[in-house]
Amino acid sequence: MEKRISEEKAHVTAILKGLILTITSLLRNIFLGDKPTIQYPEEKRQYSERLRGVHILNKREDGSPKCVACYMCATVCPAECITIEAGESSDKSIEKYPVRFEIDMLRCVFCGLCVDACPEEAIIMSKEYECSFYSISDSVYKKEFLMNRPSLEKGELGYRPEINPNLRGKGGKFLPFSFFSKNKS
Amino acid sequence: MPKLTIDGREIEVEQGTSILQVAERLGIFIPHFCYHKDLSWAGNCRMCQVEVEKAPKLVISCATVAAEGMVVHTKSEKVKKAIRGVMEFLLLNHPIDCPICDQAGECFLQDYYMSFALHDSRIEINDKLKKRKKIDLGNNIVLDTERCVLCSRCIRFCEEVTGTRELQFVKRGSKTEITTFFDKPIDNPYSGNLFEICPVGALTSRNFRFKCRVWFLKKIESVCPVCSTGCNIFICSTNKSMGSYPAGGVDDQIVHRFLSRYNPSVNRSWLCDEGRFSYKSINASNRLGNALRKAGDDLQTLEYGESLTMLHGNLKSIKEKYGPESIVAVASPQRTNEDIFLFRKYFKEVIKTPNILLGETSGRESALQMEDSLLRRKDKNPNTRGAIEIGVREIADSEKLLDIINQGKIKALYLMNSGIIAGRNGNERIKEALKKVEFAVTHATHMEEGLKYFNLILPVSTFAEREGTFTNYSGTVQKLNKALNPSADSKGDWEIIAELMKRMDYPLKTLKSEDVFCMLSEEVFSFKGMTYGNIGDSGMVLKSQEF
Repeated sequence: MEKRISEEKAHVTAILKGLILTITSLLRNIFLGDKPTIQYPEEKRQYSERLRGVHILNKREDGSPKCVACYMCATVCPAECITIEAGESSDKSIEKYPVRFEIDMLRCVFCGLCVDACPEEAIIMSKEYECSFYSISDSVYKKEFLMNRPSLEKGELGYRPEINPNLRGKGGKFLPFSFFSKNKS
Repeated sequence: MPKLTIDGREIEVEQGTSILQVAERLGIFIPHFCYHKDLSWAGNCRMCQVEVEKAPKLVISCATVAAEGMVVHTKSEKVKKAIRGVMEFLLLNHPIDCPICDQAGECFLQDYYMSFALHDSRIEINDKLKKRKKIDLGNNIVLDTERCVLCSRCIRFCEEVTGTRELQFVKRGSKTEITTFFDKPIDNPYSGNLFEICPVGALTSRNFRFKCRVWFLKKIESVCPVCSTGCNIFICSTNKSMGSYPAGGVDDQIVHRFLSRYNPSVNRSWLCDEGRFSYKSINASNRLGNALRKAGDDLQTLEYGESLTMLHGNLKSIKEKYGPESIVAVASPQRTNEDIFLFRKYFKEVIKTPNILLGETSGRESALQMEDSLLRRKDKNPNTRGAIEIGVREIADSEKLLDIINQGKIKALYLMNSGIIAGRNGNERIKEALKKVEFAVTHATHMEEGLKYFNLILPVSTFAEREGTFTNYSGTVQKLNKALNPSADSKGDWEIIAELMKRMDYPLKTLKSEDVFCMLSEEVFSFKGMTYGNIGDSGMVLKSQEF
């Protein structure tokens, strides 16, 4: 019996503690103007440097996609939202390029695994988190759209795998072997 | 019979077995590139080195014959170090273009690197030796000399199996590469095996190039339907409903390639090009999905149930009106044992017609259809032997069939495969002949020009879409497995016949292909005792009828 009373007493103190916090916050918001609410969309929140937003497909210097259609992103994608169709490139040093590269934004869970998996740093993420569409077909982002987003490229980039910039592959070349061998013996 | 010990396990083997083969028998894996079970021992990749006690150095297990009292270690530190060294040499000038290499996923280099090497390269990517890439070797093969590990499997294949000797090493040292004489195309009828035996991405298929990554493919055991040899194959397909391709994949189901399946008594490891590339017909856009009925000059789509009612009604009325002799049934050696068995049963026991023929589709006119001593045979039907064993013995080609029709006594014609008439030259003759028949019905897998002269066309599934068995020329019964879902309304031939039998009040409980095969093995002597279970992957030989 005594134990029960002490337990109930504990509840009372906890409730009181909570109420004090609520009321102080309320008073602080009213009188000091320290509000967490922002006036979206006029005002925008500052997000983390590593925000995983809408994808960008990187280009080579000549404007062709950096992607070599290796299907790594499509393979690793847990939402199965990436569709690739590979084709034979006319450039003999590249060989393979994506004829079709589509991301279904309604399926995408923005986990960033595609960016991790990409051996070419062809797919990266921007910090854009607002993607709205008027129709379902609009929700599937096509290759051309993913490649040509100057507004996003100028803005800050979001999540990318943390690799040494010196190791980054350049146009058609592949990363050094050591990059792939994570488990060193 | 030498007795030896490998990794602490003792085994007795026949004289002349190599250590690698012994290890394989014990389930001990020894990495190798150049060793192939159906080719000679080359021993040039140095990957399969093992430690033999009392031997001064490591030995290559693929070309060292097991001897009495040998004590072999395959996983000692010394061996591991040697393998790592070999891998480092092999990968020294490797371009590491796995992302664009079609072999990735089934590449020996990749697998061995992950399980045995995991070293860092000592050479910068830009210092690697450049060799020629993307060389066309005919219609089937693309050669990439940078990826080659110089195992000489392809060279030995051309020398020992086909005897054509197209490929050879050129240049010396690290610049060595394989090539044909001035990149002359390889056009031998077995060229597809070259990219299949290539352990790395040096020889890849032109047809499969960039179509699909191999890890999306589902491999189903089946039998090649192109000739009576009945080579064992894997049907490699993507199938969204089977979950082997990421959603949003291009199409629901596509067969991407056939691979050969090892069967020492039939095809060993090989497959001819004609068979290997026959998968294209399964993907063809003219696959038939619905039953069709002649309506004037056109064909009209019909519900599956309706089509069966029409078929049943017509056959029954013709039988009653003109007697069973007026019905001709033509079984097809392109179909499985189950189909032919039930087809014969229906026409013999239910319709009671004496006219049950075996419609032989005489070979397709192409340069590839010659016979040779390796695999290819003149008889392009996978199941002629099966049909004959089951009792459909009267072989008729299209000429003979047209003769029979032109005599005018035939009122109903039931074809199991339209191929015997439709799709032949001389459509006019077929049109004239079929006019004399009151009711002509055929099963068909693909839409063809000649089909429009038939009164009713029933869609049936291709060999890849069903279970069943084929009996090859030498009497080996081999099992087909279902790799794809049948298109729309198409069914197995026996399923249609079973429906007809039920409508004729024939007591039939079977619903599955397996049950039909059980019936078959009970009734036909040479199939006695066979079930799907005991046929297994490598097939079972028919009982001889001598005694």
